[in-house]
Amino acid sequence: MSVHAMKVLAPIREIDELDMLLKSGAEEFYCGIVPSEWTERFNGPVWLNRRSNKGSSLETFAEMKALVDGAHAAGVPVFVTMNAPYYSADQIPLVLELAQRLSEDCGVDALIVTDLNLMLRLSELDLHARLHVSSVAATLNSEAIDFLMQFSPQRIVLPRSVTLEEIARITKAAGDRVEIEAFILNDGCAFEEGFCATTHHHSVGAFCTNLSDMQADFSWEGPRFTARRERWLRANLTDYREWVWYVNGNGCGATAKGLPYGPCGLCAIPDLGRMGVASLKIVGREASAFKKLASVRMVRDIVDRARAGDSKLHVIERSIAMRAEPKHCESGMMCYYKVEACESQ
Amino acid sequence: MQWCLHVKGPRDLDRDLTLTSIAPKLAAAFGDAAFTHVAYGTEFCENLVTSGAGARSTYEAASARGLEFALLTPYAGERGIDRIREQFQALRANAKAEFVFNDWGALHMARRDFPHLTPVQGRLLNKSLRDPRVTTIISEASLRGGGGPAAMGSLDALQRANLDNPSYTNFLARFGVHAVEMDWLPQGTDLSFADRGVRVTVYAPFGVISTARICMAAALHYRKTEKFQPGAPCRHECQSHDVTYTYTNSPFQNRDQEFLLKGNTYFYEYSAAMISQMAAEAKTGRIARIVVQPDLPMFAEAAA
Repeated sequence: MSVHAMKVLAPIREIDELDMLLKSGAEEFYCGIVPSEWTERFNGPVWLNRRSNKGSSLETFAEMKALVDGAHAAGVPVFVTMNAPYYSADQIPLVLELAQRLSEDCGVDALIVTDLNLMLRLSELDLHARLHVSSVAATLNSEAIDFLMQFSPQRIVLPRSVTLEEIARITKAAGDRVEIEAFILNDGCAFEEGFCATTHHHSVGAFCTNLSDMQADFSWEGPRFTARRERWLRANLTDYREWVWYVNGNGCGATAKGLPYGPCGLCAIPDLGRMGVASLKIVGREASAFKKLASVRMVRDIVDRARAGDSKLHVIERSIAMRAEPKHCESGMMCYYKVEACESQ
Repeated sequence: MQWCLHVKGPRDLDRDLTLTSIAPKLAAAFGDAAFTHVAYGTEFCENLVTSGAGARSTYEAASARGLEFALLTPYAGERGIDRIREQFQALRANAKAEFVFNDWGALHMARRDFPHLTPVQGRLLNKSLRDPRVTTIISEASLRGGGGPAAMGSLDALQRANLDNPSYTNFLARFGVHAVEMDWLPQGTDLSFADRGVRVTVYAPFGVISTARICMAAALHYRKTEKFQPGAPCRHECQSHDVTYTYTNSPFQNRDQEFLLKGNTYFYEYSAAMISQMAAEAKTGRIARIVVQPDLPMFAEAAA
């Protein structure tokens, strides 16, 4: 695996986005589906695929079949999220039926799964669709990779919190047994996604951003809680809340040209390619078509430069120039990965 | 039912090891009891994983008092897994120790290299929603009939996890895992899966809301541009303070609700009603053990 084999993985929500994203450089797609069979039985924060039941996913198998056929005509695979943290015994028959229809009727190439019980049940079905282990499964080390190999995954998606040093160890341990996918652009997660037991339900929003507007009181466990100590803690809290703002796509903002802000790993693309990462994930199934298009173009631009052999320093300079607001890059708070500018061996 | 005390180290065993002495609110609901088990370690932070010597000395102190020992281990990156391995090595000769895993990598390593240790699935691998901002509201609304059949289906799902799938508990059993840990859920907890012989441990009085590899407290000593990096070394700054957030911006009536932050992990404290629910469930025999954590469970190893 090298930077030449590394794919640009784009989110997609409907077939109308297909041509635009293909022309912009998408090389793989992922999406969700929430059919009426689910919404008739579950509502509130009980989501099929980590996104609200309305507005982030396709809704019918006919739409999915058309999308998959269109992508396949261009030689591009489609992966579908079935990545709720768990499915109860009451839910699992419906989920397995969905998986079967997505695989055998719609021809999707892989199912992205978090719940080990679902991985287990799918492995018994011998479906056409392969298994991708979701980032929500929190695969943080090479021992966990070894454990998951019993389900014969084609790919494991690493969580956002893994460092380049950790990715290097993991890809080395994974070898050619399983592909590794890493996050590259858009929304972050202040917590370890796989161990966050909260909901982003519209009535309350994300817990991490919600906390930034709450009253916070410190208690000191030492002998004296001086005013100076409290100022020190509060200054750090202010910095943390600024970081959460970056994690949340710079407050869901955009540059003057309309380009998306938010967590970014563009500078790390040469390193990720060298380490053997197979795919670069752009976040945002629910995002606007324009945000998806701009995101794919940015990632593809850097991937093409890395493929062409541009130096790492040039890639970093180009990445910062494309983000258009150097102050955000300089803050260090918008980066998925901490990148050393020198060439790695 | 067994009672387990989460300790910082051997010194915590030099006290009156009764529920009345250590957790009077729990004793009022459950009656007094003597602790039979000791938990040691961390579930949440790879930087708080103690030395093998610390695990060993606490194990020996517990054994000397006739107490069973369980080592808590966190989710972890590569370096964290290396630290957990050191702890397992320190317990190599002890056949009776349990270890609680919150990372599949830790289970994999232990089954291969330390098969004498008894694995228990940790509460972070129980994926039930634990968001007190909203789950209590949903629970109350559903029980009043709001939202129709889908709301009741949702509440039922929210009170469970994948543990009610026999396929999953059978899968765990293949790895020698016959016990699982969990929090008491704000929306109510359905433990009917325990009737199939799965041993359930519940923590009290704190449940986990969320946890992170990027820690606010750990950033205290870093320059701003170096703050909030995953995997960054820390000086256990979390030990000096904690933070109480009050839900002042709630869209509901629960604006007095509190969320507790210690280090990298947010907790909720069980209400009196939740403790009563737990006590009632304990009478059915579905709770095999309760782990009492008198303080927010983020302990660094005491200096030798």
